[in-house]
Amino acid sequence: MENSLFYFFSVAMLSCALLTITCKNPVSSVIFLVLAFFSMAGLFVLLNAFFLAAVQVLVYAGAIMVLFLFVIMLLNLPAEEKRHRGWFGGAASIFVMVALMLELSFVAHHEKLASSPASPGIDGTTEDVGMVLFSRYMLPFEVASLLLLAAMIGVIILSRKEKK
Amino acid sequence: MNSSNILHVLNLLTPEIVLCGLAFGVLLLDIIFFRSDSVEHRHEQLGCSVIIGLVMVFFIYALQYMDWQNTFVVGHGAFVASRLNTLFKMAVVGLALITVVIGFKTPYSTHVGEYYGLMLFSVLGMVFLISSEDLLMIFIALELISLTLYVLTAFQKGARRSVEGGLKYFIFGGFSAAFLLFGLSYIYGATGHTSLREIAGALQGDQLAKVPMKMLGIGILFTLVGLGFKIAAAPFHLWAPDAYEGAPTPVAAMIATGSKIASFVALTKLLLIGLPAAAGSALSWPTRWHSGWAGTVAIIAVLSMTIGNFAAIMQTNVKRLLAYSSVAHAGYILVAIVAIQASGVPAPSAAPAIYFYIIIYALTNIGAFGVVNAIGSKAGGDDFEHFTGMARRSPYLSLLMLIFMLSLAGIPPLAGFFGKFYLFAAAVQADPKNLGLLWLVAYAIAMSAVSLYYYLKLTKQMYVLPAKDPRRVTSNPAMNTSLGLIGLMVLLMGVFPNKVVERFENLNANPYPIWEAAVPPPPQPEIPVPAPAEKPAVPAPAAPAPKS
Repeated sequence: MENSLFYFFSVAMLSCALLTITCKNPVSSVIFLVLAFFSMAGLFVLLNAFFLAAVQVLVYAGAIMVLFLFVIMLLNLPAEEKRHRGWFGGAASIFVMVALMLELSFVAHHEKLASSPASPGIDGTTEDVGMVLFSRYMLPFEVASLLLLAAMIGVIILSRKEKK
Repeated sequence: MNSSNILHVLNLLTPEIVLCGLAFGVLLLDIIFFRSDSVEHRHEQLGCSVIIGLVMVFFIYALQYMDWQNTFVVGHGAFVASRLNTLFKMAVVGLALITVVIGFKTPYSTHVGEYYGLMLFSVLGMVFLISSEDLLMIFIALELISLTLYVLTAFQKGARRSVEGGLKYFIFGGFSAAFLLFGLSYIYGATGHTSLREIAGALQGDQLAKVPMKMLGIGILFTLVGLGFKIAAAPFHLWAPDAYEGAPTPVAAMIATGSKIASFVALTKLLLIGLPAAAGSALSWPTRWHSGWAGTVAIIAVLSMTIGNFAAIMQTNVKRLLAYSSVAHAGYILVAIVAIQASGVPAPSAAPAIYFYIIIYALTNIGAFGVVNAIGSKAGGDDFEHFTGMARRSPYLSLLMLIFMLSLAGIPPLAGFFGKFYLFAAAVQADPKNLGLLWLVAYAIAMSAVSLYYYLKLTKQMYVLPAKDPRRVTSNPAMNTSLGLIGLMVLLMGVFPNKVVERFENLNANPYPIWEAAVPPPPQPEIPVPAPAEKPAVPAPAAPAPKS
């Protein structure tokens, strides 16, 4: 049961992610991205990380992506035109992709990995996450807030209309 | 974590907190007090405060360096405070100081406070990256550096090249971050730890049988790709020329020096502390070549040296030339990283040689970028033609450029020569009986002969060809003084290289005793901060104190 759910969510996530990139229409791209986030939340649940799954749905799939969707609809972006790629770039990327796929499947085949999804050491409740976040991972947590601040300042600077 | 521990951690983190406060202070000062002033005025005020603040941070680091004999580990290696790390942090803060001086009074944009604020955030990222020995912290610090540098690259919003460079840097950087994160997650998945020392512990002795090595291999491969982007090693260097060319010159200087130092320190730590057991070997192919990261790094080194040097020959823009030359220099450093575990045991001279070379390289490069900025802003561009006959138009700056170019090429009395000498000597000594790495060293020496051509081509442009425009080029006294000091340091480090290398060797008596010293044996109890306030000598017996 757990295994089949894992494969279901993985396949759903990967195909939604693929559709996000390949879709010509920006609105459907965003919708597929939301679906990909939902499947990821499913994977988190399988790992017992319930809090993470809830946050994933509430924050990413809910708040951020809805905002995204609004902006894209307000901007009224046209569907993307067909892009022309050089044959060399396409061939090279396909070659690299196939090589990586072969390598990964080789590893998956020869490595005796646990058959069930990884077993986490803790239950992913709010209490556990909070304990870890504010003891062992305190410093990375604080630095991440600086990272977000820097990103925010950067976005404001770059997207601002300059007065002439 | 009790309160005395928190206080101790805050004490360790003083300079970082000051740096953070400085960044906020600059942002707020600009908004509250200087909004209505002219851009030049704001640039002066804020630039001066940033310089004063950075000097202060530099001195706090200097005090810590003199004061400490121990290594302190916070949060399982998320922050490791040691003398070696402090030395690198001093270098990074010093380079940031020079960057601010270089960019002084050359406003690229009206957002002065944000320019300095983001620059300080970037320095903060570098400082945290240097002192982290934890996969999570390494990733966050790297992203802090990268995100700020993307924005700073595109800061000159009116200029097409700046925006293009920023966009390319962003797309490549985002892609590489995905690779890095994927790789790190595999390393975590294979070993079950994020702390580098715990990873090393999981790869020791009978523990090793439990680790899925092939999965770990994939993780290392992807991590190397991700970090390869950050250090601009071929074939992951494609963003570098455009970003260097388009970015405002001080920002390009920062990408080329501070962020390079931090990324190389992180790479060295990851491979040396975390994954020495997975090194394999790159000795005389094919008989003694074992799979591991050494072979991959050797291939990246060869590609970097080849592509960097041959592509640099064709450049006609000085900043692009410096970009390709930095690709080549990343290759030279990787040669020594291959050597570090070449014959199963750590090579004693390899790590100090790498550290020495990174410092020399950064110093020389920031000097070169400073001259490019001084000349470029007056002569109207940084193509070769703008540098024609510069020896007559500005003898002082040209002399400095000559010193920096010859040092980068590795001509004897200058620091660059000894940097390369130690680097290649370490690679040869890594396997003294069979000279297994001779193939790599011989190739590196051949490639540095090639590099002489393009460095001299620029020098010829400045010294031999006549000037078309006879007007003199001058720069402000602060810039002249600081560039002169850098030139002097490049000369002195060439005359007395042993003084600097000894320092690294002392801190590194057997390759990394100080880093090692702090570590309780791998399966450690859950103590986030192993050092009470009154008696800071708890973590481990002090490593050999470098008293000469």
